Amino acid sequence: MSLERPDTVDDGAVERTPDELEALLGDLVVDRDDHLNAPGFVIRPDTVQETLSILKEQAGYDHLSVVSAQEYENRYESIYHLKKFDDPTQEVSVVVPADKDDPVSETAEPVFRTADWHEREAYDLVGIEYEGHPDLRRILLPETWQGHPLSMDYDRDQPQIATLPEHANPLQEHHKDAESDTMFLNIGPHHPATHGVLHLKTTLDGEQVVDVEPDIGYLHRCEEQMAQSGTYRHQIMPYPDRWDYISAGLLNEWAYARAAEDLADIEVPEYAQVIRTMGAEMCRIAAHMLALATFALDINGDFTATFMYAINDRERVQNLLEDLTGQRLMFNYFRLGGVVWDLPEPREEFFSNTRDFLDQLPESIEEYHNLITANEVFQMRTIDTGVLPPEVAKNYGATGPVLRGSGVDYDLRRDDPYGYYDELDWDVVTEEGCDNFSRLLVRMREVEESAKIIEQCVDLLEDWPEDERTIQANVPRTLRPDDDTEIYRAVEGAKGELGIYIRADGTDKPARFKIRSPCFSNLQTLPEMSNGEYIPDVIAALGSLDVVLGEVDR
Amino acid sequence: MLGEVVAALIAAAVVGNIVLAFTGVAGPWAKRKITAAFTDRIAVNRVGPFGLLIIPAAAVQLLAKELIIPEGVDRPSWDIAPILLPASALLGFSVIPMGRLGPINFQLADPEVGFALVFAFASIASVSLVMAGYASNNKYSLLGGLRAVAQNLAYEIPLVVTAMSVVVFTGTLQMSGIVAAQTETLATVGGIAIPSWYAFVNPFAFVLFLTANMAEIGRNPFDIPEAPTEIVAGYQTEYSSAYFVLFYLGEFVHIFLGGAILAVTFLGGASGPGPAGIGFVWFVVKIWAFFLFTQWARSALPRVRIDQLIEIGWKGMLVLSFANLVLTAVIVGVIA
Repeated sequence: MSLERPDTVDDGAVERTPDELEALLGDLVVDRDDHLNAPGFVIRPDTVQETLSILKEQAGYDHLSVVSAQEYENRYESIYHLKKFDDPTQEVSVVVPADKDDPVSETAEPVFRTADWHEREAYDLVGIEYEGHPDLRRILLPETWQGHPLSMDYDRDQPQIATLPEHANPLQEHHKDAESDTMFLNIGPHHPATHGVLHLKTTLDGEQVVDVEPDIGYLHRCEEQMAQSGTYRHQIMPYPDRWDYISAGLLNEWAYARAAEDLADIEVPEYAQVIRTMGAEMCRIAAHMLALATFALDINGDFTATFMYAINDRERVQNLLEDLTGQRLMFNYFRLGGVVWDLPEPREEFFSNTRDFLDQLPESIEEYHNLITANEVFQMRTIDTGVLPPEVAKNYGATGPVLRGSGVDYDLRRDDPYGYYDELDWDVVTEEGCDNFSRLLVRMREVEESAKIIEQCVDLLEDWPEDERTIQANVPRTLRPDDDTEIYRAVEGAKGELGIYIRADGTDKPARFKIRSPCFSNLQTLPEMSNGEYIPDVIAALGSLDVVLGEVDR
Repeated sequence: MLGEVVAALIAAAVVGNIVLAFTGVAGPWAKRKITAAFTDRIAVNRVGPFGLLIIPAAAVQLLAKELIIPEGVDRPSWDIAPILLPASALLGFSVIPMGRLGPINFQLADPEVGFALVFAFASIASVSLVMAGYASNNKYSLLGGLRAVAQNLAYEIPLVVTAMSVVVFTGTLQMSGIVAAQTETLATVGGIAIPSWYAFVNPFAFVLFLTANMAEIGRNPFDIPEAPTEIVAGYQTEYSSAYFVLFYLGEFVHIFLGGAILAVTFLGGASGPGPAGIGFVWFVVKIWAFFLFTQWARSALPRVRIDQLIEIGWKGMLVLSFANLVLTAVIVGVIA
């Protein structure tokens, strides 16, 4: 496809201006449709693969963040948001309009594996068909669902009753195949190790896994639809807490805050940024502690002491978050332009509690290393199992500790700075092992880095002059971003790149609100990691991915 | 004649009930308390003093539950399996010399082949697990049953071969003879006499036996036939109510039987400081210590994978146990 253009250099590090990119793509570009975060090129629906492979191989855009789809009055549209793993501030959007009456568009799956699930979701919710897609089925809704809920002519009052014979029950399929000697096993939707309602359709050859297919959507709560019916200023902020609900709330809130603030051009006071940074890192510690706890549960079995120890440590940080925000899980603490209130009074008590927590943290981590990572049996179980090579991880759009556990140095806090991160002294953690053990180590070391960040924030906040403590910028009561402005912004959530795409239509509510969930992309790598391994390794790999189904299904 | 039969039956009932009482304390109460202590928690403390009344409460609760019989189970074997497991383990106690308490000697029978018999009884358990796994008509149960049989095959042989190295010392398979052989003093260190328990005479064999024993009773790091986070609950997935209680009971009796065999073979049976009349107390202490050890392992150790387990069993334990046997035989042959 792209091979007949040998005159261009294949160098991902070179930053190209939008016009250079347009020249590179040549006739493929039909029109320009720039977004706030990136130049946008409109292309014909049958040239998707050609365009994307040129951008990937010749311009170095090797990260397909998300595919967002929507319906307009006169057309359907899929947007491929591309980035570079080396420098995520270099972004480009590929806009693919499709016919209103017959929305067909070429699939991007052969170029980016991650497009597989993202396009299935677009088909499921919006109704665009992707030609050449290997497996274009519904992904979040049941197979029997009538209509596409985010399309314009969707009738919300239409009954969705599927009779039992019509309903393809995945649990009742017969796999008594005389030709093979494999066994089909349903792991989930209710199973001790699926960490929520996840269904793994597993084919076994003895104890070895031949094939595993994650079946998601059991926890789909129409989060995008709900955000689209709320106003920017106040009504959307409570929802992000409910995506990754395992105490990563503030990180999720920041994703929305960042996208909406850039869209409406709101400056956040520095003092509020420091508080945000501190709160977000507390959330990261809490989330990683739970990941560690449940991973130990998967490897050690129930009754393991590590689980309770890690939950204890999470409880400590949870108490700090409760002091800060007034809530334990559903914080709703961020506001557009700042945070809802200042640090709790008396401030000294909050600071000393935080310092106490930070002081005992190294001791706890030492204990976890003694209990699990230093244990030979544990190493035997996790080293070289669930291997995810870096190229595969990139192709699937994996981010966060999963990608960093495969040795790819990619962290939006440093690479696409926001908040107060670029003023502070901390490091991005990577491990080269690509296996379950590396992913666990990355999380444990990230806890230490987060502690460093919190400590610096506490130092800053302690000395902050009293008359400069502005917690919120002046934000109009009603926000109406300009008509037809589009933005995609991401932050480094607990599980990876958590991005929000918003299209404004001049009203006080978003016309399209798309969530790029890191767990959704990370979970796609599970078959790559587990095929050919044993059942316990699948469980370990799933645990090391640390998926939260609330975020996968949204 | 009739009197003897009645006396034997009464004795059997006493021994059986002692073991069941241990299990009753261990299952609903001690296990919770021990695990809680390991994991920084408190556990049952509201029902009665120290939460002890949880024992009758749990019994009533478990027995009052509905016995769910899934479709397509293989009926006679599905019903026999939960009875076979505790029965086989209880039978094992019939030859265990549990020591004296005052004038009573707690040993039901002392046949000349008692040592072989106790291993035979203990290994019937795996038949029960395979039956349950196969008869349940559930894939998780099937996987659990297969794992159980693979594991027992791989560890039964090292277990018995290591036990044979003790027989090389004793020259008898009679349980009382094995205990009697451990009564002499091995050495005196600082005025404290160390008895010639085989754990001290041959510590290597003791460690081997302990490891194989953990696999035999299916506790961490070898609890893979149940492996709750992998295959739900293995062979017992489909069992509820009374049948579940029987399985649970069987597992605990099995742990205590494992402890009893260990105590007799390597820890001098009922011997201990003080008069022989309190030997039973020492014996109980020893098997509870083993129970504590299994719970500690459960809280602390990760679980190995099935293929790793088989590998350790056939390539490691088997070779080591035979090496131990040959070495012991040579040393005993040279010295004697």
